[in-house]
Amino acid sequence: MNAALEPIVGRYLSVDIGGKPCRVYFEEAGEGIPLVCLHTAGADSRQYRHMMCDADITSRYRVIAFDMPWHGKSYPPPGWQDEEYRLSTERYVETVMAFCQALALDRPALIGCSIGGRIVLQLAHQHADHFRALIGVEAADFQQPWYDTSWLHRGDVHGGEVCAALVSGLVAPQSPAVHRHETLWQYMQGGPGVFRGDLYFYRVDGDLRGRLDGIRTDRCPLFLLTGEYDFSCTPEDTLRTAAGIPGAQVTIMRELGHFPMSENPQQFRGYIMPVLDAIAGL
Amino acid sequence: MENHAMPAQDASDAQLAHRFRSRVLLFSRPRQVDMDLLLRVGDAPLLVRIRDGRVETADAPGAPLPSCDVSLRATAAAWSRFWQAVPDAGWHDIFALSKRGELSIEGNLKPLMAHLQFVKDLLATGREVQA
Repeated sequence: MNAALEPIVGRYLSVDIGGKPCRVYFEEAGEGIPLVCLHTAGADSRQYRHMMCDADITSRYRVIAFDMPWHGKSYPPPGWQDEEYRLSTERYVETVMAFCQALALDRPALIGCSIGGRIVLQLAHQHADHFRALIGVEAADFQQPWYDTSWLHRGDVHGGEVCAALVSGLVAPQSPAVHRHETLWQYMQGGPGVFRGDLYFYRVDGDLRGRLDGIRTDRCPLFLLTGEYDFSCTPEDTLRTAAGIPGAQVTIMRELGHFPMSENPQQFRGYIMPVLDAIAGL
Repeated sequence: MENHAMPAQDASDAQLAHRFRSRVLLFSRPRQVDMDLLLRVGDAPLLVRIRDGRVETADAPGAPLPSCDVSLRATAAAWSRFWQAVPDAGWHDIFALSKRGELSIEGNLKPLMAHLQFVKDLLATGREVQA
């Protein structure tokens, strides 16, 4: 028999967000510096499972990844059936801060990808003193839309399938098939309209161009990592964003797309480890 | 005397379309897809008829203005880059091509979106085999 028990442990946290009780699922592994992980739009915390099983990380970091309300194993808040889900910048920041405070995390490091990368920029702008360091993966203050998000939630096209098929092109061709399809499976499992609701933040409410002044990277280091195959948040988008933030440290990652930690964990490791080494040495 | 020789670019377009045709004819998936997909490789059109998840025919249309559900149009140079064994960044997906203005997607987008991964997998048959 071939069996292996992973070190990841899952729990639920009840916390008020936006005045509503939310039951938030999170997973964690390791001990040391808290490292909060934010998943991409329309996905969930499973994207970070490889980092949570990497002893070189968990020996120094308490890696904690939570499912945003409406995602993964976190239910929507009560009354969801009567509303359209739309993530806003304000609600996203509130969610992250509420989670960190509820777990009494002392100046955690935080990594976020895609919409998580976008909110990293807002956190750097608004709440830098609460964090040890911030890592934005596939992060930019804005990027050009490349499709109409109304395709993501309509009665005559399967939402999960079209979400996955659209983002499949954002995975680098070098990424191993098993990780590519695991990444896409999460998109197939998302709740109806949730990916689209996340993209409301990405496309409409969260345009941060001209709104990121005063970021102090000397007080909270900011690392930006973007995959060369990401044509949604392109390397040029990240480089343009970083050019407006003194001290931001940018790396363009080869042979990676929009979901580095999930689509090709081994390749991503080569880029994230130096960042985690640097943060551990602060 | 009428010259029937194809210009060099037209011949190149036709060759690339022909190469794709030889591969796409073998494509099928266990999925209920019925669609007429018109691929334009430069000036060489290829009408791919899909029935019950299987490519039934893939031929140059017999006349101009062929009926189709959706058409994808790019230069042979763009398709060539898309069909590399490991395409370069920005040339690896139809929406990457369309975002950079190298691919036009026209027609009724509903069948395309309803069967998007099917169509992407179908197009990927043109990809060169990795050495």
